[in-house]
Amino acid sequence: MTSVVTDRATGPVEPEPIPPVLELVGVRAAYGPIQVLHGVDLTVHPGQVVALLGPNGGGKTTTVKVAAGLLPMAGGELRYAGQKVNGISAETAAGMGVCLIPEGRGVFANLTVRENLWLATGTGASREQIEERAYFRFPILQDRRNQLAGSMSGGEQQMLALSRALATDPAVLLLDELSMGLAPMIVSQMYDTVAQLVEEGISVLVAEQFARTVLPIADLAAVMLHGRIAAVGTPAEIDADLSTTYLGG
Amino acid sequence: MDLFLTYTLVGLVMGAVYAIAASGLVLTYTTSGVFNFAHGAQAMLSAFLYWQLSVGWGLPVPVAFVLVVLVFGPLTGVLLHKTLMHGLRDVAEVTKVVVTVAVLLGMVSLSQWIWNPTEARSVAMLWGNSTSFELLGVRIRYHELLCLVAAAALAIGLRLLFTRSRVGVTMRAVVDDPDLLRLNGYNPDRVAMASWAVGASLAALAGVLVTPVAGGSLEANTLTLLVIDTFAAAMFGRLRSIPRTFVGALFLGLASTYLLGYAPTDWDWIGNVKTALPMIVLFLVLLVLPQDRLRGAQQRTRERTRVPSVRFAAGWAVAFVAIMFVITKIANPLMLGPWTAALAFSIIALSLVPLTGYAGEINLVPLSFGAIAVIVAYHTGVSGTGLDATLAWKGLLIGTVAAALVGGLVALPALRLRGLYLALATMAFGGLVSTLVLSEVTPRDWPIWGENTIFPAAVIAMPHLDAGPLDLDDEATFLMALAVLFAVLGVALVALRNSGYGRRLAAMKDSPAAAAMLGQSLVRLKLSVFMLSAAIAGLGCILMASAVGSVAPDNFLIVASLALVMLTVVGGVSYVSGALFGGFMVGMGFSLINGTFGNLEAGSDMYAGLFGSLSHVFAIAIALTGIGVNRNPSGIVNDICESYRPLRNARPVLYVGVAAGLVLLGLNWVEVIGDWSFAIGIFCVVVLLPVLGRIWMPERVLTESELAEHRSRAAVVPPELRALDGPLDPEERYDLDTYLGLPARALPALDETPSDLEATRV
Repeated sequence: MTSVVTDRATGPVEPEPIPPVLELVGVRAAYGPIQVLHGVDLTVHPGQVVALLGPNGGGKTTTVKVAAGLLPMAGGELRYAGQKVNGISAETAAGMGVCLIPEGRGVFANLTVRENLWLATGTGASREQIEERAYFRFPILQDRRNQLAGSMSGGEQQMLALSRALATDPAVLLLDELSMGLAPMIVSQMYDTVAQLVEEGISVLVAEQFARTVLPIADLAAVMLHGRIAAVGTPAEIDADLSTTYLGG
Repeated sequence: MDLFLTYTLVGLVMGAVYAIAASGLVLTYTTSGVFNFAHGAQAMLSAFLYWQLSVGWGLPVPVAFVLVVLVFGPLTGVLLHKTLMHGLRDVAEVTKVVVTVAVLLGMVSLSQWIWNPTEARSVAMLWGNSTSFELLGVRIRYHELLCLVAAAALAIGLRLLFTRSRVGVTMRAVVDDPDLLRLNGYNPDRVAMASWAVGASLAALAGVLVTPVAGGSLEANTLTLLVIDTFAAAMFGRLRSIPRTFVGALFLGLASTYLLGYAPTDWDWIGNVKTALPMIVLFLVLLVLPQDRLRGAQQRTRERTRVPSVRFAAGWAVAFVAIMFVITKIANPLMLGPWTAALAFSIIALSLVPLTGYAGEINLVPLSFGAIAVIVAYHTGVSGTGLDATLAWKGLLIGTVAAALVGGLVALPALRLRGLYLALATMAFGGLVSTLVLSEVTPRDWPIWGENTIFPAAVIAMPHLDAGPLDLDDEATFLMALAVLFAVLGVALVALRNSGYGRRLAAMKDSPAAAAMLGQSLVRLKLSVFMLSAAIAGLGCILMASAVGSVAPDNFLIVASLALVMLTVVGGVSYVSGALFGGFMVGMGFSLINGTFGNLEAGSDMYAGLFGSLSHVFAIAIALTGIGVNRNPSGIVNDICESYRPLRNARPVLYVGVAAGLVLLGLNWVEVIGDWSFAIGIFCVVVLLPVLGRIWMPERVLTESELAEHRSRAAVVPPELRALDGPLDPEERYDLDTYLGLPARALPALDETPSDLEATRV
């Protein structure tokens, strides 16, 4: 019946003045027969930083994958700027300004730094502009520009991955476990960069296991448990709840 | 000096063609992870098409050249990628190998169908054979110059493509992480397709250029194998580096010409060494390649196997022997020959079950190990001549042991190789055996052995085993002996899989690193399973030789081995029954069906063409079954077993099946229906029974979820009729809200049974 219902494009009857850049409504998703998301509702308004918190296996990664079009949905609705985009492919989503920095290292290990940056031109930016912005923000990358990305340190790789977000000027940035396996100093440097991007007007959805690293820059926080949004609130509220919800952060 | 320069030129030209072919191979391998065994067949088809266009239909040479290299080549590449290769991501290495081998066999059959192989065809050089110019006293033909220029341009062009163009960089990136490439806004499928198009186009170019250089006559098998020689060149670059591939190709070309040019004239075997050179180089390069690191958990593949219990296997073994007994009684006595051949081939195929099925290692040439066993058995065990000749037990035993020892010798240096590399090493060994051993058909003075011939007069007549009271010259007795031997070996292999040793093999297949960390000696495991496999192949080949009567070197060609391996994998290489399937398709299917169509063709003037075509279609269809492995990597036998599993609860359906089988048997017995109708009838019953079960007693056969789906499909209500005879459930109300654009409300908790609700919603 869902398929019948969602055949036609729908939207809110009274459109809001500025629709949210990214909206997930009742999203369900599955890996093969195993359902992971059981109806996730999540909204990212323009210029907002939304932190997606929760323990391992809660469905955070799956949620951002669905939002970026990497994983097909089993039900529900995905909207970009109020437009329903169910079934969008990741490459089209990237072209529309949705930038996902995936979990782990989002770099091509067997390409050089320059070639990695070159590939970021797939969404429209020019090569010079990308290199300029990346090297300006992370000067170390310029020294390493002809080195294979896989041979750099974890922090440098993450800088390279984040350069794509810096240089391509996306509408919404999805970050998955930015802090994974990185030294605390590097992590805070990463989030400084993210904060700078936010100042430029980019909306951000950041999935993070370690809540305290991300709550300071967040406007809104959501806690995911067992494939559902368990709580939504301001960072302060969520911070207070955290220790009772789960042992983390 | 002039002679040296001429040799150098010839070698360089050959090397250039090798380089063109090998770079296409490397290109597709690096971008898709699929090693394209069919690369040579693509080159061969292109050469034939070029002949057809330029000689057959008289098109101008440039037009034909452009059509083949720039239109046909890319088209085949795109077609291959669309239909097959892009589905080969998450499958085991053996499946990838088998699918491309199937494409190879299919293309060879196709070319023999379209272009009758008994007619001679030849292709002249571009610009003719005589247009040339002299440089430093060497006559250079324009065609040869074109080969050199094309290779040089390609070397530079590919380098630029990979480092200076965005398309080239995406081609390299797609190997690293296709998902990340999508996040960068590219379509990885399109990138892989582009590389397949370029690769196939290079194969076409190599095919068109190589034919005149290699003599000018078109012959499907030779041309296909010629490009297989380039595997060695590709291996020089570890299947990755294009520049090193070029070096390897030039080395191969030069070495083979110098070898032929400067060897003493009384070394009459040097020609064979030259033919074998690429295979020797391939083997050596594989051995000295830097070692692959042990991988941890292998990626999850689509192959699924179920380990049968020994009791289950023993039950089926008894049933199998009983069925074979019935067949010796009802079959036409003249038809027992194909049955014995099929059983002997099944035993050879059985050698793949422990090696590939249990341990996950690939041996592409079981018949080459068998050839060694046959030769040794012939020289040590055959006594008497003519009809009195017999094979002694000693010969059978020594032959089998020899195969095992050779298997160990080949495996020992290759032990650290895995997957594709091991497969290529075995293939190189197969090439060595057919060019160096099986071609020894004339007497020669050997150091210890004295004046003797390895393969006398290119035919070995293998008498039946002297088995004491059992008269194996009687076809029916021999058939029963083979059936019992197959059954015993099959049960033994199942027992082996259920033993600790079998579990160690499975552990090694799943994760070599974990197995090593648990203290398993991988070397010992691999060596032992390789020797076991070679021994079984040897035993099977000796029996095959005596079942067929006499064997020639052609019986042990690599292509024949590849067909056997492919059909065994199609049947299911982890199962004894898969080996049976492979053996019967090779031993019986080919000869019987080709024979039948041949008879029909000869017997009917009106439909001669039709039946002739049908036998070709059949050959291609067999290759297509190999391609089907892509969709169903666990094998046909596994599929049939899985479809029968639910029928255990529906006894009446099984009784109907048995009854139908008995009726067919009875009709055949009283000769109302012929053997063919009987076989087709049994096949239909076997295939249709699970379908009957689903229709007749769904509640016993279908699983819970399938039943639920069944009911929900029956209970679908159009949206406008909903809520007429009952209230909407919350989920329906939610969907209606979304549909009407009302503010979305949170779904009620689905804790109870979310998956069931999902199922009903579909």
